Amino acid sequence: MISSALSKNELLRDRSSMLKTARQFFYSKNILEVDCPAITQGASVDSHIDLIKVSSQNLKWRYLHSSPEYGMKRLIADGIGDIYQLSHVFRDGESSTKHNPEFMMAEWYRMDFSFEMMIQETIDFISLFLGKLPFRVMSYGQVFREYAGIDYFQASIDELLNYLTSNDVTPYPGVESEGKDAVLNLILGSLIEPKLGDNELFVLAYYPASQAALAKTRKLDGELVAERFEVYYRGIELANGYHELTDAVEQRARFLESNQFRSQLGKEQLPIDEYFLHALQKGFPDCSGVAVGFDRLMMLRHDCDIEKVIPFTWDKA
Amino acid sequence: MPQISTNEFKAGVKIELEGQPYTIVTNEFVKPGKGQSFNRVRIKHLITGRVIERTFKSGDKADLADVTETNMRLLYREADGVTFMDDNSFEQIKIPMESLGNTVQWLLDDVLYGIVSYNGVPVNVEPPTFMEMRIVDTAPGDRGNTASGRVLKPATTETGAKIQVPIFISQDELIKVDTRTGEYVSRVSESK
Repeated sequence: MISSALSKNELLRDRSSMLKTARQFFYSKNILEVDCPAITQGASVDSHIDLIKVSSQNLKWRYLHSSPEYGMKRLIADGIGDIYQLSHVFRDGESSTKHNPEFMMAEWYRMDFSFEMMIQETIDFISLFLGKLPFRVMSYGQVFREYAGIDYFQASIDELLNYLTSNDVTPYPGVESEGKDAVLNLILGSLIEPKLGDNELFVLAYYPASQAALAKTRKLDGELVAERFEVYYRGIELANGYHELTDAVEQRARFLESNQFRSQLGKEQLPIDEYFLHALQKGFPDCSGVAVGFDRLMMLRHDCDIEKVIPFTWDKA
Repeated sequence: MPQISTNEFKAGVKIELEGQPYTIVTNEFVKPGKGQSFNRVRIKHLITGRVIERTFKSGDKADLADVTETNMRLLYREADGVTFMDDNSFEQIKIPMESLGNTVQWLLDDVLYGIVSYNGVPVNVEPPTFMEMRIVDTAPGDRGNTASGRVLKPATTETGAKIQVPIFISQDELIKVDTRTGEYVSRVSESK
């Protein structure tokens, strides 16, 4: 990627001004700023996100959040309404020209907001940084059909592996034992993602139900899919949004499933955030939410790597 | 065998895969959405030079290849091989012609080469990136053919390499060549 012609100080000045612009965006919509804790007793449970542990006074491990989601949802369950949080989040081991283990996330939730409205508002937010861009929404199934000629729902793991090798991507050893989603992930990451959003914002929506994370699921063309979307621009992932799951029983089942899968991958199981589950149990309003990578937006705004748009990278922090 | 994790994969690191030695060319970290992160790694076979791409699950390990690189000076050439000497130890080795690969076109007496050994056996000879050498054969420049900025003509160097040089270069001139691409870099002045 090309490096921005601006100096570090000029980029940090623009970063400051864009933080202000982002806050104005939320303020103008009456969305309240909150600052939920970054260090928690329960962990953000995700099969493929590794957390940074910190030891606290009473010698119990706590976890740096990978997103402020659970805390924000506890506030929502208490009836706070529309909220946003601009905060640093932490994901262990994610270092590259596009990743830093500590990065800035803009996350917000909207009450009585449909999936489609959430997509539109995410696009509006992104356009503050990148200017007005056309966007298109395509389902996960459609994307696999159009970009790979694959019916992901019907295809067997062997067919998916053959597709990879016939496109010069040698799957890493053992990927088939991690299940179909792992092979689909490999196809998406190596052969599809780089092509998404050349001259437009590309919204990849309706993920397989098995990749729902914290999204509601529903039937689409006879298949169970998640009301989850991601936004891509020039092959780079910018946002991840959901029509939020409100069912505490289902949420607990997904946590247990993720933890079980973590064990299978040789990772440690994580303590479930009982405060969060309790909040869902009490009753949770219908809402949609999204998390946008603030540093990613700055990178695309200035056409440069992440190290240019943050004060210091992980290895120099 | 010592191992190395994907987050330490850097260009130039030598790894062993399926019993074959490779140099890492590029390493790209990929993390689609909420999925398993993986690394797309381009690797170059140390002996054949063939570049292939492999994926690794992030955090997985690969064996480090037992590869050493020493600088040795070219002493003399024979029909079946080339003899090099280590300037410090005065140790000499003869490397057969067939192990020289592309480097056969960049052999000059008294120049330092990088000798790459895999499991103690020399497998590759790396020429300096830039080398100075004399043009031994080229046609005189055709002055009528200078419409576009830089007009090139074929030439042969004293090492036997066939390259393209600007039309103003004449026979017996000393030039600088980029051995990675075989491209002409500049004229070398001989005011000594």
